[in-house]
Amino acid sequence: MKRKGSGIFPHLEALRGRELDAGGFSHRPGGEYRADATAWAVMALSATGSRKDLLENARNRLAAGQKQDGRVCISPEHPEAFWPTPLAILAWNGSPAHREARSRAVSFLQVTTGIHFEKDPEAIVTHDTSIKGWPWIAKTHSVVEPTALSLTALRMAGHGEHERAREAARMLMDRQLPAGGWNYGNTFVYGQELYPQPENTGIALDALAGSASREDVLRSLEYLESRIVRLRAPLSLGWGLLGLGAWGARPGKARNWVLESFKLQEKFGPYDTTLLSLLLLAYLAESGLGSVLEGKEPAA
Amino acid sequence: MTLKRDTRERNGWTRREFLLGSAGWGIAASGSSLLASCTKRDWRADTLIARVPHYGTDIATVLLQGFRELRVQSGEIKGKRILLKPNLIEPHAGAGHINTHPEVVRAAVEAFLRLGASNVLVAEGPGHSRDSVLVLEESGLGDVLVEDHIPFLDLNYETGYAVKNLGGKTRFSTLTLPAALAQADWVVSLAKMKTHHWTGVTLSMKNLFGVMPGIYYGWPKNILHWEGIEQCIFDINATVKPHFAIVDGVVGMEGDGPIMGSPHHAGVVVMGRNLAAVDATCARIMGIDPTRVAHLKAASGRLGTIRESDIPQRGEKVASVRTDFALVDKIHAQRGLRLQ
Repeated sequence: MKRKGSGIFPHLEALRGRELDAGGFSHRPGGEYRADATAWAVMALSATGSRKDLLENARNRLAAGQKQDGRVCISPEHPEAFWPTPLAILAWNGSPAHREARSRAVSFLQVTTGIHFEKDPEAIVTHDTSIKGWPWIAKTHSVVEPTALSLTALRMAGHGEHERAREAARMLMDRQLPAGGWNYGNTFVYGQELYPQPENTGIALDALAGSASREDVLRSLEYLESRIVRLRAPLSLGWGLLGLGAWGARPGKARNWVLESFKLQEKFGPYDTTLLSLLLLAYLAESGLGSVLEGKEPAA
Repeated sequence: MTLKRDTRERNGWTRREFLLGSAGWGIAASGSSLLASCTKRDWRADTLIARVPHYGTDIATVLLQGFRELRVQSGEIKGKRILLKPNLIEPHAGAGHINTHPEVVRAAVEAFLRLGASNVLVAEGPGHSRDSVLVLEESGLGDVLVEDHIPFLDLNYETGYAVKNLGGKTRFSTLTLPAALAQADWVVSLAKMKTHHWTGVTLSMKNLFGVMPGIYYGWPKNILHWEGIEQCIFDINATVKPHFAIVDGVVGMEGDGPIMGSPHHAGVVVMGRNLAAVDATCARIMGIDPTRVAHLKAASGRLGTIRESDIPQRGEKVASVRTDFALVDKIHAQRGLRLQ
């Protein structure tokens, strides 16, 4: 394991270097605390076996920012931007000290959704607008990425059979593009099928593993398998590998590609904390995100 | 000294500082900040249309000539920090008509540096994709930025600051803008000439949707849609008060824009200080009546002018470059827009 993983050590060190004195992580070197960056860093460092005290400090910082109703927001001034909540659930997994915080976050997700309404057969957009998922921001329509992340978080917390988790899987299937893949969450607009995006496709596939059949997502797997060969952009590659891995379709060169993506920092500058963490997880996770996260709970 | 070398030396950025971060941009604003400098509206509506037949044209020289025609003085730019906001909505290799062309971005950077800008930053928060590296790579802009050492900032992840919503058309009492905007002396909307299935057209005013950080507004910036796209365009423009617009109409998009439409060669770049006037001129070039485009109509008289008689036209005349962009009848926002 150590020899195999030696290529990621500098990036692991770079990630550790983002730790803040008060606990938690910044989005960029020298930046301020961010909940999303902290949750991602905890997941990546936990998967690589980092110091427990570092992880617990970061988890504590996340818990300190949690609102009474369980949500975790991008900043205290923006309670409507609660999209880091599923990330926090994943970061708290495996920590007995944060079971209560995680439980409140799970409860928040279970009672929260976006704006939904009956499907209009004459509508310009053709997806089923009534199926509930989760939005990025309160009082907006549910879209693919926050729904996929929330589904993964619920499943990891032992609530994969909850009605909302099952509905989320249904919503993701409804938003799958007929030609394969997902984008942010629209399928057809004015009769034209929209383009898929690799990042959205990877995150949806990762979330749906165990909730859909291979046949149901076959075209999306085929789309991503052909697309990922040329992908080195970190977000798309990271989620692409996790999504394929979750379905036993991880490419043999996955680790080389991750290292090539890290190398792109020479061209594009240092990646933010989320990207560093995601790539580290994609490097390690042979079978999807859940395969390297600690503390998956038995189904409730 | 070549222009490219000039660009590098005056920028002074290294590769490590190049992209994906706020490094290279001043940490704290000094001198006039965006908001302080925008207390007075600038309605100088002079708009310039320049013929640019293809992207191999020396576009930087075209822009510099345009600045002279529009009386943009070097004293206005010298030592200033310029934020260029291109339209990079989502990536598709080979679909160059979706995004502002990399050569137009390169030319705008060069032109502002030639006028004496201390820093030029390219900044965008792509509306449909969270992967800005993919957007840069597939749009071709990444290579241009690397080659010319031009810094890029993904506005979607920028820590924001709340300012009073000066437009008042939506229910938002404040807007959360990215910190980079507060540090810029000039904000330039570097838009693409396109039709749009929700707003009729997307030009320099609509392009400013991209400054709103995704971490507060989502991907796509759905909350803005729920509040009303036209109302949000007004509020963002009224609050940000951009200083200048350059619209890439060399190859635009017609039909079902802003993503699924077809390329349309218009062979022009349109520029000016007043975004409403620039967009009205672009619309006329596209064969679209700006008074029938809701967000342009709303801007008229409040953020600028869209009346043809009030817009001193420089460079080419509208009639000499007009080329009707296809409109789709089943798209509600495009019905009845054709300029008679």
